[in-house]
Amino acid sequence: MNGRFTLNIFVALVAAFLVFPILAIVPVAFSAQSFIRLPPESWSLRWWGAFFQDASWKLTLVTSLKIATLTTCVSVLAGTAAAFGISRCSPRSRTLLTGLFLGPVMVPTIVLAVAMYSMGRATGMVGTITALVIAHTMLALPFVILNVAVSLDSLDQRFILAASGLGAGSVRIFRTVTFPLVSPGIVGGGIFAFVTSFDEVVLSIFLSGPNVKTLPVRIWEEIRLEYTPVVAVGATLMLLLALIAATMNRISKNK
Amino acid sequence: MKITSHRFLTTALLSPAILILAVSFLVPLGRLVLISFSSPKGLFYAYSQLFEDEIFATVFLNTTTIAIVVTLLAVVIAYPVAFALTKVSKGWHAILLACVLLPLWISVLVRTFAWMVLLERNGPVNTLLVSSGILEKPISLLFNHASVGIGMLHVLLPYAVLPMYAALVQIEPNLLRASEGLGASRTTTFLKVLLPLSLKGIATAATFTFLLSLGFFVTPALLGGASSLTLSMLIDSFVSDRLNWPLASAASVILLVAALLVVAISKRFIALTSFARVHQ
Repeated sequence: MNGRFTLNIFVALVAAFLVFPILAIVPVAFSAQSFIRLPPESWSLRWWGAFFQDASWKLTLVTSLKIATLTTCVSVLAGTAAAFGISRCSPRSRTLLTGLFLGPVMVPTIVLAVAMYSMGRATGMVGTITALVIAHTMLALPFVILNVAVSLDSLDQRFILAASGLGAGSVRIFRTVTFPLVSPGIVGGGIFAFVTSFDEVVLSIFLSGPNVKTLPVRIWEEIRLEYTPVVAVGATLMLLLALIAATMNRISKNK
Repeated sequence: MKITSHRFLTTALLSPAILILAVSFLVPLGRLVLISFSSPKGLFYAYSQLFEDEIFATVFLNTTTIAIVVTLLAVVIAYPVAFALTKVSKGWHAILLACVLLPLWISVLVRTFAWMVLLERNGPVNTLLVSSGILEKPISLLFNHASVGIGMLHVLLPYAVLPMYAALVQIEPNLLRASEGLGASRTTTFLKVLLPLSLKGIATAATFTFLLSLGFFVTPALLGGASSLTLSMLIDSFVSDRLNWPLASAASVILLVAALLVVAISKRFIALTSFARVHQ
């Protein structure tokens, strides 16, 4: 009984360690002081004003949202198609393709970043939206493919046989049976792709330019330069978006 | 006729993803390897420069040491959490699982910034330590090995919990009851039943955390001091400060080979797809 109690206390402490520290940034965003201190001595919305009145901060938020949306579209389209393609392959090529598509997950991000930065410099792509979308798509693609592949694997083949037996053609089967049944996997992959792009820092640091800069890159720069509570406003916005995405993912899974 | 059109559709479905992977991953990595051999002073000049450099040796050792320590801590701390997930009631299970999964959604940058706020000289952790009498006056908790370790552990723990939970949840509960019913002590049951049956999960968790910690960049760069330089920070300085591409590429290739070595060794006992499945 005693051992059980110790275990519960330990696990509760670890859970608290995982969740509570993240919330530390929120009160800082509502500080009235000009420096970062927790807890703030007095409260205000001045740093929220500073964030939204500063065109350059606002632009990074818009850029991040734009890049995340484009990344989601590209990786969902290419990833879903690839998952269907893989399911039509022989087991041997399946293993090979899965290994290939998982490649970016296994390579350290800094290596990917330096490789893409060097390539981007050679082709004049550094500091373009296209370069960032391609880089983020590379990171998001494995998760979309796996998500869709899992729904495809669990698809009951008898539904397709039934539809075919009832006289439906292959296009109609795809539209009315296969697609609706794998769509939760596609939605889950899409949400994850959006967050992967919106959260990404390392590749973005290397591929951003003066005109195209994502919110995390601006936060990263500002932490090392000014370190004022406006950083906490940016971080709180990122936290908020991540929580919305996690909730949406939860809802889509429960449906 | 039928077979060719089947092949054609499969190729058409796969080609967009393969094209993206080619321009973003395969070609850039291939170029990086070539650049690492492109020093004007000879094919292997960049590599020999690195191997003779004392700083590189120190940083490499530093990175591996941090990775090993953080991996060990993560596995030891995460195991009881994974075990608890298989034991608690349904309601607590949902809450605990949410605590483990939620951090995965939040950017490493945001989480690292939170630790900067918490650990600074006038921050809440120092205040707590002083007011409880553990410390006489606030000390610098940031920019050392410990702050890097805490920040990394915070990011890596979920990656350690999930594979071990996946392994533990498959263990037949009757085996544990049988062991206890036959008079084995808790320790014996753990050592002779639970531990051997969850070894695969432990191996997967250790591989994840070790692989990820080898390439950590943001956390050590913000929470670490000059003494906790990691390989990724060194590569960044080769590119950004010294503009030495052969050197940066050679160091990247070494990090890449180290990562692939870890994957190759672990592939013998864990499934490749579990690397990414953890996110679901």
